[in-house]
Amino acid sequence: MNAHDWYIENRAAFVARSLEPGEERTFRDHLVRCDECSREVARLERELGWLPMGVPPAAPPPGFSRRVAGEVLDRRWRWRRTLPLAAAAVLALAAGGMALSEHRARQDLGADLRNRETRLAAVEDTLSVLRRANMVLQTQISMNGHSQGGMLIFQDATSHRWCVIVHGLPPAPVGSKYQFWFITETGMVRSVEVDAAMERPAFMTLPMPGVPAPVMGAALTMEPAVSRSEEPKGPMLAHVVF
Amino acid sequence: MPVDAFLARMPGSEPPRASSSGPSSDGPAGRRTLALAGEATLRRRLIARDEQALVELIEHASPWLLGLTTSMLSDQDEAEEVVLEVFATAWERVGALGDEHDALLPWLLRIARNRAIDRLRRRRRWRGKLARAEAYGELPADRVRAPEVDEAAQPGWHVHQSVHAALDRLPPEQRQVVRLAYFQGLTHSEIAQRLGIPMGTVKTRLRLAFDKLRVSLAGIKDWIE
Repeated sequence: MNAHDWYIENRAAFVARSLEPGEERTFRDHLVRCDECSREVARLERELGWLPMGVPPAAPPPGFSRRVAGEVLDRRWRWRRTLPLAAAAVLALAAGGMALSEHRARQDLGADLRNRETRLAAVEDTLSVLRRANMVLQTQISMNGHSQGGMLIFQDATSHRWCVIVHGLPPAPVGSKYQFWFITETGMVRSVEVDAAMERPAFMTLPMPGVPAPVMGAALTMEPAVSRSEEPKGPMLAHVVF
Repeated sequence: MPVDAFLARMPGSEPPRASSSGPSSDGPAGRRTLALAGEATLRRRLIARDEQALVELIEHASPWLLGLTTSMLSDQDEAEEVVLEVFATAWERVGALGDEHDALLPWLLRIARNRAIDRLRRRRRWRGKLARAEAYGELPADRVRAPEVDEAAQPGWHVHQSVHAALDRLPPEQRQVVRLAYFQGLTHSEIAQRLGIPMGTVKTRLRLAFDKLRVSLAGIKDWIE
């Protein structure tokens, strides 16, 4: 048994994370240098990717999705607010004669560039749905008998996706959420929750629902925040059909 | 619910008609179902920083992530913290995911499990509560009662059933090692001590179990639509 056999023998244990802490560090260091083990570990992780779903799901507490989304997005803004301070700190270090490794900086810039290229491609893809739209649907949103904003749907028959824009809606009342539905020949199909904010429109790019029935239109309802019902229960605020 | 019945709930309304800017093959003339773009579309929208896509991802994945982390950590608050960290990580790193990486949900589940294991180990190290982990011997689902969901309505429930069936098909001694290692984050030595078997046997059982699970889980496809 040579030294590499130990790594081969312990790939499964590394993926399971049942190696002792010291062994795990050793294995992790080895992965940086060994393409074969790195590839095999990635393959094993992919093949066992669904294994955690052996545990039953748990119902999130009310408002969990909204709270988590808010926290995640707020973290991003916090990071951006601290960016100038971080930049100033880096400059101060540079002024003090401490240079960052050029190689490392080049790597970071390369990764950042690839990341931005990927994002740009994704934005262009989303915009292409708007540009290719062969049909635009629009309807007013009605709340408590009063007109309250509107809903625009850009239908791209080429990629079979919709861009949906909902504007002028106040944030959903506490305990409620706005729910977007597809109207099909056989019934309503639940789509996404609409995160409304009066000052900016909600913008969504949606694939068609995975049902065999043709899509005939769309609707917007207000549902209890905890509802995961496959049927609309709350008041309808807007709907449009072809 | 039939569409007509639903539409009838809108008092005195004739549904607004479309203002068309061109012919459509997806309207009444075409009457064909639009194709699914599913997980790939969601990933693309996340990369494009579509905040609505983040909300959708959270809605899809939260029940499974919370189920996993709650069962591993036995602490609802800590489980929710881990899930928050998972989505924050995903939001920042999804742009760096290449095509060679696995699907979104397995990726999130892996991050969640790793974070939960890190917390379990910190907990054991700092608090000296290894005995707490050793006290549990059954599937996490058996020892932790997380808030239940409407199973039939839960997207992905069929995946859970498939994975559960695959685990059930393992020989009991292999299943036990998978549960302790994979779902409870115990190390080889901790498992060997708990079961009173040599460490080599632990490793062998885990390897054999993984070989079978790789085959059993191979047919599962992503269910995000």
